[in-house]
Amino acid sequence: MQAGAEFADASVESGRGISVSVEKNAIKSSDARLWAAVSVRAFFGGGTGWYSISGIAEEQAREAGRQAAEMAKAAEPDPDFVDLVSPSPYPEIPGLYDPGLAAITPVEVAAWVVGNIDSARAVAAEAIVSGGASTGSREWALVNNLGVNVTQRTTSASVSAHAVIRHDDDVGSFFEWDAARRLADLEVDGIGARAATEALRYLNSRTVKTAVLPVVFGPLSSSGLMQGLCAAASAEEVQRNRSFLIGKKGDRVASEALTLVDDPLIGGGLSSSACDGDGFPHTKVTLVEKGVLRTFLHSHYTARKSGEQNTGHSTRGGIATTNVLPALGDKTAAEIIAEVDDGIYVALGSPVADTASGQVSALVDAGFRIENGELTHPLKNTMVAGHGLDLLQAIDAISSDYRAEPGRVLPTIRVQGVKVASGR
Amino acid sequence: MDDQAKGMKKQLERLREEALRRRVEFAEARFAAVRHSGLMLQDGRADRVAAGERAGVGVRVLVEGAWGFSSSESTAYPDWVSCLESAIELARVSAARLEEPAILAEAPAVVDEVGAIFALDPRQVPLERKLAAVRGYEEASACYAGEHAANLMTGYSDAFQTEIVCNTRGTLVSSESVRTAIWHAITARNGSVRQRAREMRGEQAGFELVEATPAAELSVKAAVRAVALLGASPAPAGRFQAVFHPSITGLLVHEAIGHNAEADHILSGQSILSGKLDTKVAADCITIVDDATIPGSWGSYRYDSEGVSGQRRMIVENGVLKGFMHSLETAAKMSVAPTGSARADGFLHRPIVRMSNTMILPGEMSLDELIADIDVGILLRGGQWGYVWCEKGQYTCHAGEGVMIRNGQLAEQVRDVSISGMTLETLANVLGVSRDFELRMPGNCGKNGQSMPVNGGGPYVRVREIVVGGQG
Repeated sequence: MQAGAEFADASVESGRGISVSVEKNAIKSSDARLWAAVSVRAFFGGGTGWYSISGIAEEQAREAGRQAAEMAKAAEPDPDFVDLVSPSPYPEIPGLYDPGLAAITPVEVAAWVVGNIDSARAVAAEAIVSGGASTGSREWALVNNLGVNVTQRTTSASVSAHAVIRHDDDVGSFFEWDAARRLADLEVDGIGARAATEALRYLNSRTVKTAVLPVVFGPLSSSGLMQGLCAAASAEEVQRNRSFLIGKKGDRVASEALTLVDDPLIGGGLSSSACDGDGFPHTKVTLVEKGVLRTFLHSHYTARKSGEQNTGHSTRGGIATTNVLPALGDKTAAEIIAEVDDGIYVALGSPVADTASGQVSALVDAGFRIENGELTHPLKNTMVAGHGLDLLQAIDAISSDYRAEPGRVLPTIRVQGVKVASGR
Repeated sequence: MDDQAKGMKKQLERLREEALRRRVEFAEARFAAVRHSGLMLQDGRADRVAAGERAGVGVRVLVEGAWGFSSSESTAYPDWVSCLESAIELARVSAARLEEPAILAEAPAVVDEVGAIFALDPRQVPLERKLAAVRGYEEASACYAGEHAANLMTGYSDAFQTEIVCNTRGTLVSSESVRTAIWHAITARNGSVRQRAREMRGEQAGFELVEATPAAELSVKAAVRAVALLGASPAPAGRFQAVFHPSITGLLVHEAIGHNAEADHILSGQSILSGKLDTKVAADCITIVDDATIPGSWGSYRYDSEGVSGQRRMIVENGVLKGFMHSLETAAKMSVAPTGSARADGFLHRPIVRMSNTMILPGEMSLDELIADIDVGILLRGGQWGYVWCEKGQYTCHAGEGVMIRNGQLAEQVRDVSISGMTLETLANVLGVSRDFELRMPGNCGKNGQSMPVNGGGPYVRVREIVVGGQG
């Protein structure tokens, strides 16, 4: 502010991480990382100057502030800018920092990956395993000139295994993972075994006939359907005329089966936090209710610009959801598949709609043909396509059972009438 | 080399002495720093100006055949010594499951300094001049798109990078580079239909890149495509004969072939090219090189992050697989010479095998000749992104637009669409390549959490069959 900015905020972040990577059934390397940086945003006439610099000492922070203020004065004014977030109480969210996880040693992380190599090869001796595990802790603080002063400490860990099974030129493969903010929520064993078990199922893959078919998106691909919707619901995309959801607030944008709640307050949630990137307190937000788009996702800037309520989705530079929870249906995933006479199952894939056009054109990374309610053979070289809104409207079932990750509910979702491109 | 870099170089030499005293098999310390600046013009206002600088060290050691790596966002020598100690401890952790000890190829020690090459130093160009240039791009786009212009974004960035590699074999290489980029993205609208297009130019150059890039080659090009897409039909679905524009060829050669030819993927059993060296893997007309030596290209470099000089590497010659991209370690394990392909994304990451500028070389045919006998097919243009599952050879690429080919002629335009294929099938099914050639896909490639500047391109390529993931 001494350098002439009208408003300013600064974030300070430091962290440390350990990772152990696996290549061909052995540890490739064990790595450690330490980082620390300051980032200052300064505003003058609404124009933004932004400067980031290594280190968190006071002299570095002051230098970043000076640079940011100078750039803000050089930037062109933005009449839509009003002010920054004012201070208010923040929610307490348990389970984001685990001292036990922060104290974990590289030797312990290495033991996790060795266990997963062994469990994969116990399932299939010929499995070639890659992947690894990582842990980290991060401290973050944000202050602004209106009095916002918030700090957060988090831990995180992830374990992954990519298993490849080769039978001459025939290849089956699968990627499995788990992630958490606290040790108690992390599955450290069994990831390798699951990857190898799945990889075996993907041998002898084939194409299917190009056709319009029902498609069942499994827990690891169904979130892609929602990702495109959430990205297009960003108020920044809407205000900048780039979204296929412009003018659709309050309209039916999806099947009645779809209700989406964004909940950043879940204890131990992977995307949980007390506030957004601007320092605005997080709250639970209903994004879609029985197919009706209830709100756009706002930052402080976009909310001020439109006169709407801030939903607390700023990433300090962008807008993004946190923990997106679809409401569950009343049939199990097995029942949903059993009802399909002729269709496909997408285990891995990203059916994400283009934010502007709404178009989806995506590869089935791993999937199966469904015939008479049974998964018959794995797929290769198969794609799914449609308009994002058409796909969402055509959802006719969301499963009652789901894959649970911390703060995440990942159900199975069936969509009718999807264009499937593959063989003749 | 500025004073900070000179100081860091001395610290690296001091750290090397420390590593030698600890009798590790091999140690490498890398100082990496970046200073960047950028601005964005949107809806007529350049209301966001950003800059920053990050610097730190990454230390990698080999102890009894096991790797340890430790990095710190610090320029203080005591922190660097801590990194060395941590890396040694971590190497002992890696020994917990070591099937094949790491070995390194013999490579001569290199001592060199390489400066950044540019004509107009972006640091000396006033912000007003940068703004004027960016505004010119936007105005030209807005003028073309007229009432169809829903949103226009134009960006400019420059980044000065310094990397100093110092290892216990005597190498001490300092490389400086500057990359400057400009881009324009337009969302065009007609009623409820929205289509967007994006163009980017990026080179290892200074502000002269901007001065040499007319709006017609950047923003107007994007505007023409976005407006045309408003009237285009959805792309078809199914298997089609296809002709790839050089931008799609760039994606294909990078995703489908390039990643499979990275030697770490070969050694880890992840590549479909394992065991196929000196065998036929593509049609005769296919020759593929990865070339780090092209002056000014986005993916070029004089030295890699192990201090080995960047090279032109033959991957496929007339359809026969001739070689892979190597680090010091993969070269030793495969008993070949290193190719200078080990690159690290800043100080936080260790070097891994990466591409540089990857391309299919041109042939003799014209585009007209390539499409002349296609009854029904699709010309795919405007390459945007792609990815590959190396172990299966299954890849996908996204094209910003397509044009149907009917009875040997270009016909109606179709919208953006993704395609998919199996690498070895696609390579074998190439029916011809054009003499027209472009190497203009500057971008960043992600691998193992690291992002690296690369470029790709080639000629027009005709393939017998590809899966088109359209809606029509």
